[in-house]
Amino acid sequence: MHATTDLDTDIEFTARSSLGEFWLTFRRDRLALIGFVVLVALAALALAGKAFTEWWVLFDPAAVRLSDRLLPPLTEASSVLSEDKRPVFGIYLLGTDELGRDVFSRMLQGSFVSLSIGFVAVGIAMSIGVALGGISGYYGETKFLGLSIDNLIMRFTDVMLCFPTFFLILTVVALLPPSIYNIMIVIGVTGWMATARFVRAEFLSLKEQDFVLAAKAMGLPERRIIFFHMLPNAFAPVLVTATVSVATAILTESALSFLGFGVQPPDATWGNILSDGKNFIFDAPWLFFIPGSAILVVVLAFNLVGEGMRESLNPKLRRR
Amino acid sequence: MVLLLAPLLLLAGLLQAFFWVPKYDQQARATPSRLETFIEGESADAKILNPVLHADSQSSRIVTLVFDGLLDLDEDLNLRGRLAQEWMTTEVVFLVVDESRTFPDGTAVTPERVKARIEHAKLSGNFPQLAATLRSVELIEAGAVVPLKLNAEDADTEQPAAPRFRIPPRVRLELSRVEPGILDLLAPVLGREYGAGFDPARFLVSPGTPDEDLRRALSAQLPVVEHNPVIEFRLRRDVRFHDGHPFTAEDVKFTYEAIMEPKNLSPRTSDFEPIKSVEAVGPHLVRVTYKRLFSPAVNVWTMGILPAHLLKPELIAREAEDRGLSGPAADSFGLRDSRFNRAPVGTGPFRFVEWQGDELIKLIRNDDYWEGPPEYRDYYFRIIPDPLTKELEFRAGAIDSYQLQPFQVSRFETSPRYRTLSGLGSGYTYIGYNNRLPLFSDPQVRRALGMAIDVDEIIRYVMYGEGERTTGPYPKQTDWYDHDVAPLPYDPEGALRILESLGWRRNAEGWLEKEGKIFEFNLITNHGNLVRKAILSVVQNSWQRIGVKVNTQVFEWAVFLEDFVNPGRFDAVILGWLMGVDPDLYQIWHSSQSGRNQLNFVGYKSPDADRIIEALRREYDRDKQVDKARELHRIIAADQPYTFLYAPITTRALDRKIVMVTNDGDISPPRASKGGDVFFHFNRWRKLEAAPDF
Amino acid sequence: MGRFIIRSLLQRLALLVVVSVIAHAVVHIAPGEPSEVDPTNPRMKPEDVAKIRAAFHLDEPLHRQYVYWMRDLVSGDLRSFKDGQPVLPKIWDRFLNSLPLFLAATLLIWTFSFPAGIHAAIRRGSAFDRGSTFVAYALISIPGFFFAYLLILGVVNAFSVPVVGMRTFGMEDAPLAFRTMDRLWHLTLPAMISAFAGVALLSRYVRSQMIEVVSNDYVRTARAKGLEEETVIYRHALRNALLPFVTMFGLMLPGLIGGSVIIEQIFAWPGIGRLGYEAILARDFPLILTINFFAAALTLAGTFLSDVLYAVVDPRVRLNG
Repeated sequence: MHATTDLDTDIEFTARSSLGEFWLTFRRDRLALIGFVVLVALAALALAGKAFTEWWVLFDPAAVRLSDRLLPPLTEASSVLSEDKRPVFGIYLLGTDELGRDVFSRMLQGSFVSLSIGFVAVGIAMSIGVALGGISGYYGETKFLGLSIDNLIMRFTDVMLCFPTFFLILTVVALLPPSIYNIMIVIGVTGWMATARFVRAEFLSLKEQDFVLAAKAMGLPERRIIFFHMLPNAFAPVLVTATVSVATAILTESALSFLGFGVQPPDATWGNILSDGKNFIFDAPWLFFIPGSAILVVVLAFNLVGEGMRESLNPKLRRR
Repeated sequence: MVLLLAPLLLLAGLLQAFFWVPKYDQQARATPSRLETFIEGESADAKILNPVLHADSQSSRIVTLVFDGLLDLDEDLNLRGRLAQEWMTTEVVFLVVDESRTFPDGTAVTPERVKARIEHAKLSGNFPQLAATLRSVELIEAGAVVPLKLNAEDADTEQPAAPRFRIPPRVRLELSRVEPGILDLLAPVLGREYGAGFDPARFLVSPGTPDEDLRRALSAQLPVVEHNPVIEFRLRRDVRFHDGHPFTAEDVKFTYEAIMEPKNLSPRTSDFEPIKSVEAVGPHLVRVTYKRLFSPAVNVWTMGILPAHLLKPELIAREAEDRGLSGPAADSFGLRDSRFNRAPVGTGPFRFVEWQGDELIKLIRNDDYWEGPPEYRDYYFRIIPDPLTKELEFRAGAIDSYQLQPFQVSRFETSPRYRTLSGLGSGYTYIGYNNRLPLFSDPQVRRALGMAIDVDEIIRYVMYGEGERTTGPYPKQTDWYDHDVAPLPYDPEGALRILESLGWRRNAEGWLEKEGKIFEFNLITNHGNLVRKAILSVVQNSWQRIGVKVNTQVFEWAVFLEDFVNPGRFDAVILGWLMGVDPDLYQIWHSSQSGRNQLNFVGYKSPDADRIIEALRREYDRDKQVDKARELHRIIAADQPYTFLYAPITTRALDRKIVMVTNDGDISPPRASKGGDVFFHFNRWRKLEAAPDF
Repeated sequence: MGRFIIRSLLQRLALLVVVSVIAHAVVHIAPGEPSEVDPTNPRMKPEDVAKIRAAFHLDEPLHRQYVYWMRDLVSGDLRSFKDGQPVLPKIWDRFLNSLPLFLAATLLIWTFSFPAGIHAAIRRGSAFDRGSTFVAYALISIPGFFFAYLLILGVVNAFSVPVVGMRTFGMEDAPLAFRTMDRLWHLTLPAMISAFAGVALLSRYVRSQMIEVVSNDYVRTARAKGLEEETVIYRHALRNALLPFVTMFGLMLPGLIGGSVIIEQIFAWPGIGRLGYEAILARDFPLILTINFFAAALTLAGTFLSDVLYAVVDPRVRLNG
């Protein structure tokens, strides 16, 4: 038992030192750092959005004030409104939309919905990818119905890769009843293949490495080997993929919204605020530019952070 | 270096093309014929260019340009002859001679006596109405024994065990007009009770006493008076199809047969079902005989006429052969599969040229058009799905006209370059409640919900004024609409009072509650309609304020119909109907039409409404039709099975250079017809080189 | 080599069958049926709907429907629910429309990414590198339709010139030069927009590939030999860096079908993506399935092509698939 603990601390030590090194490299990449700050701010905003539009309704994103529609940002609300319909401070921070709803409130609500779509969808994709990749890599030789599990899973991955992804998402979303959960699931279920492939490759190579062989030789339970020894080592690239995938998922949602199959009202997402707003681009450009720029900034932040992480983790690139 | 130069050259090559493209100011640059070209922007492609098969508005637009009907509706919504120069409605009546009866004077009824007495009455001069109506009387001997069709719907299936009945002797009367009350006119001859006392069971051949179902089937197939309204169309002699073939009565007959052919799956089959026969009496005379009284019947002849010489069954079969179709594909090959539907030939003002899917449909002027050729030479139907880019194309001068979204209208109204052209459509938008649900079964509840919605506000802000308030099931511009019916007032407090009087109380959270349940339901609509989506949010908000909790959802068309509307699994929907001009509302409002897949999907049931709807179908007198239709309007408005919202106004943006040539050769701004058809005068539109002063 | 090709072809054929079965099941099990019937027509009766269902075999079990579909697809008799037209010629027409857009975009992508990527790699860490990284990521991150609208609005407002569609209408009588240039102009914007994201992605790949190659020993050797920097980069490094990109030709093939729904929708381009989108809206099952089938076939053909190409250019790859 003693030996095991030693081995564990040893791995932890290397992990920690590589984490520190990672952070040092990452910090030097100014773009990635800015992206990271944006993401932290966004997370705070999303939480605030959830809190202020649902739990403690300070900003009501659903309040329709037809007499105040299409007002530009920073306009004061008209005085004819009844007290319960007035926006906070009596000012529309980001203007109003075609039904007189407060764009700021809707963006606030949308930030949480958009982000949760991204995270949940990617969470689903990564879970499937890691699970299938891991099984395929670790238990690959086990036979099932005459075929090796590895073969089965990888051929299934190939099948999934054959579908034109966006077309498939569109078909399924159009055919299913439109709910936010369906969209999350569909984006998730169509996005795990790359992860599965590299997790499998990672596991295959890790399986041959000394510390895993040693752990096996010591008779450690498989569960422990997989979850404590192998998975942490495959974790970093998964995280990079996940970060970039969140960006893609947010973009996919906005594309679906554009085609009219995104999240349905009354739930606001940045994607559907943008696609609704584009009709009023001549009357109310802010309805188009605010959500559009917001998506751009957030997706960019995810991508930059992802890129920063990738560069910091790639030893070959780090050397120079 | 090459690496750098290549992309830059490529980009420059692409960008220089910009200088060759015509802009709004110089549309006719390099192409003077641009002024004779009309380019219409549409958001979706047509599906099938065949007047008997199409069911979408895009196809309908092209079909009306390529095909002519026998009739159409003129500027004031009255029927007008097109391919038919004139038409006459007469009637043939078959009267059963019931020999078990006696005349009022006590003599026994025989066929000969019935005939003689009717003829005598006509000539006597005592019954001027009968004399004016009745043309001839003829005796028909008793007929064969025929099987009774127990299920009137599938008339073609014959059950071997079905009971049989003998066709009794009858008198055939030819009338100069349709006379639903013929028995009243004959009362002096046959007695008042002749019709009421008639028992068709007398002619049943099978033994035993008939049960209720059998009796009903029998009296449907052997009524004492069988009405056969007849419409005769006298056709124009100088009309040719686009391929030069003359148009004759055979084409009309063929068109009818094409609709009734089950293989063709025509969506108009049920419109033509009341027809008994269509005969080509002469090359330019068509006689249409109906099975029963059906006053809306004549309206269906506004449908385009197909060329028989191109589509006869043997030609269709040859086409299947030419395509090398095998086995089942060849067997099921019908008019619906013919290439005619993508290259139609008609008699209309424009000839078909080409169709590129999802891009364009091109037509060219028919110089032989019987009414004189249209002004434009080329017509393009251009498909641009995105509303924003469509607007940009219009501004750039690449399309001449497109249908505006309500919010776009004001941008073009005062422009020096463009004008707008509006017409009140014959449809309406409504909120339909599932009348079967206990929550909505009380008209008071539906009325209260309607009162909580500020419809005028919706029209003003959501529709941007592009709609008119409506209160009932008929188009506003028809005579059937009763303008005296007042719209529901906007009165949330009043609505709340009504609901409170029905036992609903506001709970701590502000929702209305009764017996532990809050007033909550789902409001749904179809995907793709911006206005309905906006209304969804507005009414949700309005109802929320009186404490009614509404959840909203938008579904894609097919899902919407298949999962919610057709099986009746919905609470409330926002939808619209597009109405015809006849007063027949059977399919939408009759209680018998509330089953699965039927159009009375809200389950409205009112014995009064049913009675009037049925009577309307048998009524041929226009004034009486108007009275009945308005009464029906009042009944439905009182019951509020829908909250009627508004009739939308369709507005098109038009290049200001487009004008209308009037009869005396002057030019004037284009105008729409009373029925809301902005293209009614399209054949007389012309594009000038510069915008006129008006 | 021959055995490798046959083996991998067979494997891919089997995959294609599995894909088609799954796609068929997904489309048919999902709720909703063909919207051939226009529900706003108050005269449509349930009997008529039933007739249409029977004509489309929609009342039969799933596996029979699959067989019908496959049989009709192979015999070429497959017809669209929506308008009864044969599916294959329809797809072919749209394919021909999509092709110029695809080719123009591909040309732009490849010609622009290499100079940009190489330049960034050589001057790693320079202002150009950092700037181009940022711009590349901005282009990847911008929602496609947002960007397209910005561009269209800019062009139309500045020059008031038509940009949508494949050509300007009413120009049949114009001289050939005008018509050609008109088509070229209509190709320009959509091709540029489809290319932007591609340029961004590919130039990133080129950059990282170059960086990796430049740090290799043989490049150091070349430098050590005192060769000019330009020669080192373009003769030695680039040739090796290019190798993986040969395979990307194959992998880009599926872009012909899948990736252009939104661009085609905005630009009213009658291509294959829009055909698919319209088919989805109309529940035109034969068309949806067939497009999906061809997309899968193209993907497989693409990976096959890239495998073979890779094997040809890189003899180190063992051909036992």
